[in-house]
Amino acid sequence: MKKIILGALLLASSGVFAQGIMGGHVTGNIQFDGQISRQDSTIGASDVPENLLMNARADVLYANGNFSAGLRFEAYQNPLLGFDPKYTGQGIANYFVSYQGEKLGVTLGHFYEQFGSGMILRTYEDRYLGIDNALFGFSVNYRPVNGVTIKGLVGKQRMFWTMGNGIVRGIDAEVNLNSVIKAMDNSKLRVSLGAGFVSKYEDDATITFPEDPNYKLALPLNVGAGSARIDVNYGRFGFQAEYARKGQDPNLMNDYIYRKGEALMLNASYSQKGFSANVQAKRVDNMAFKSERGVGREMLYINYIPAITKQHTYAFLSMYPYATQTTGEMGLMGDVMYTIPKETVLGGKYGTDIHLNSAIITGLKTETVGGSGTEGYTSDFFGIGGLYYGDASLEIAHKFSPAVKATCTYGYVVFNPIVENHEGELHHNNVLVGDVTWKVNKKNVLRFEAEWMGSDSKYTKEIDDKRAGDWIMGLVEYNFAKNWFVSLSDQYAYKDGIGNYYNLSVGYTHNATRLQVGYGKQREGLLCIGGVCRTVPASNGLTVSLTTSF
Amino acid sequence: MKKILLTLVALTFAGCMFAQNAKLPENVTIKTLDGQSVQSSVIQNDGKPMIISFWATWCKPCNRELNAIKEVYEEWQEETGVKLIAVSIDDARSASRVKPHVDGNSWEYEVYIDQNQDFKRAMNVVNVPHTFIVDGEGNIVWQHTSYVDGSEEEMIEIVKGLLKEEK
Repeated sequence: MKKIILGALLLASSGVFAQGIMGGHVTGNIQFDGQISRQDSTIGASDVPENLLMNARADVLYANGNFSAGLRFEAYQNPLLGFDPKYTGQGIANYFVSYQGEKLGVTLGHFYEQFGSGMILRTYEDRYLGIDNALFGFSVNYRPVNGVTIKGLVGKQRMFWTMGNGIVRGIDAEVNLNSVIKAMDNSKLRVSLGAGFVSKYEDDATITFPEDPNYKLALPLNVGAGSARIDVNYGRFGFQAEYARKGQDPNLMNDYIYRKGEALMLNASYSQKGFSANVQAKRVDNMAFKSERGVGREMLYINYIPAITKQHTYAFLSMYPYATQTTGEMGLMGDVMYTIPKETVLGGKYGTDIHLNSAIITGLKTETVGGSGTEGYTSDFFGIGGLYYGDASLEIAHKFSPAVKATCTYGYVVFNPIVENHEGELHHNNVLVGDVTWKVNKKNVLRFEAEWMGSDSKYTKEIDDKRAGDWIMGLVEYNFAKNWFVSLSDQYAYKDGIGNYYNLSVGYTHNATRLQVGYGKQREGLLCIGGVCRTVPASNGLTVSLTTSF
Repeated sequence: MKKILLTLVALTFAGCMFAQNAKLPENVTIKTLDGQSVQSSVIQNDGKPMIISFWATWCKPCNRELNAIKEVYEEWQEETGVKLIAVSIDDARSASRVKPHVDGNSWEYEVYIDQNQDFKRAMNVVNVPHTFIVDGEGNIVWQHTSYVDGSEEEMIEIVKGLLKEEK
């Protein structure tokens, strides 16, 4: 008993100390994901000898005025399916102290930073994808006058429970002309300019080539990349452009060639109430930039080249998602949104929303000049290579009454398996989606979703692509008593394919706490149920997920 | 008795530590729709409550939530003076589509882009949608994750409750 009181007093006094003398607040979030999965070769779920897998993490943040400090505990015992086994273990994965004043900000420890759109530097974390390439080091940002921001940083990147070899140094400046030039203060023309430079230093590493062990490359110890960008807005018009270049950077991703890298992104838009149009174009040539040259896959990227295709949320439209080819690609995307006004024949009483989107991505037109240790290839800036991916979708949403809303979507996807590093024929898919929400009353909401996909791909054992064939899907979601939801869904390959994915989920949300239990077969992809979207790996069994913020 | 009393006092203090509301962070860099970097201290509503909603262009429930509030926003503003701040967490892939998306949907909200997700991290947002209610003094008094059709009614009740308390 005495011990308990002593403990309580200690807690209390520390509380008084934290509140009375130091002030400040402690906030945080906790997430736990557990998975019991059994082997199922039909969907690609692997055997789980440990029976139970779990990922858990907790972020704790302390903030007091301009000062903040934080740490993150992560545990993977063992990691969920789809996560790299190198995450196995537990410990403090991220910690920092930071001072962010009005003019000056300094962070020591782990931090996330982005220059412009990220073409030369972006460190970020995505807990569902298992990506965390945080920089560990020192970062400073300075705003000498209103409208000018200068950033500088030095650090090494996180890779699972270790760090990459390379040291990353970067500097970036951004100027908002409207704040700096008095005459432009109230101008309709809004202009921001920016430029950045990033340099990576890495010790010499011996690269041996199996074909000839005596063949060694003189690798550059320092690799630099720079970019310049502009953001212009004039009333309803907007224009953004960024161009980046990278020095000689032979690495595993580009097969150790010495060609320099470059990337260009353009975006133009027009928008007004009820209507918007948007066009994006990009060209990426040899821009895989990593802080360790010998590391493959998605680890240790210093930069980030986004896909410009639309991020589809319906299951069959996102079945063949496009992944950026950082080594080289060209792309064009167009997007139009229009609301047919209320009280018109097509608009009805509540208006009708129309959303049209289309993208096409191709490779570069290149001519090979040699292998590792050479320039690699040459390419014509405007030359168009083979098709990687194309899609078009039309979405029409209409509210029939205050209680009933419906969305109809038609989508077309053409996909080259080369994007996932497989040789093969192009897949052509047609997708239809119907999505109806019926608000029965204040406390009961029903949602129905039906999807169909017709594809020219057929399942074969040799290629083993479990997405092949023609599919149908149905989903019913019932939200009740304000905080609860139940959802039942099934995806079934009815022709030329294999697989039957059924799933039952039950969830409870109270304020910022959410508990979800699911049973069934899960396809890899972006999943949206009961109000939240997340990425999930393939599994067959039970999943439990708990998140809370405080 | 003494022991019980001591325990009670201790528990009260311990309770204080958790009961106090966190403040809205002030010096986190976010971007306006025309590309200008600003500090999060620009998020203000003249001492009246605010609703801060984290969303993304690709998030269906977020769009359902913001479209549902659109229908009643004018009414809410007239009645309570509340302001909705929509913070987009779209990254480089879709950040340039935020402004067309907002206009295309005819949203009248104050919108910021949190491309580097500094604000999202400072506010402990795990998934979107995640909505906060902030009182006139910048204290975070309520938060909620996910969206179910009709749950915006709870938000406005809380805002009205805050205004009553102040009176």
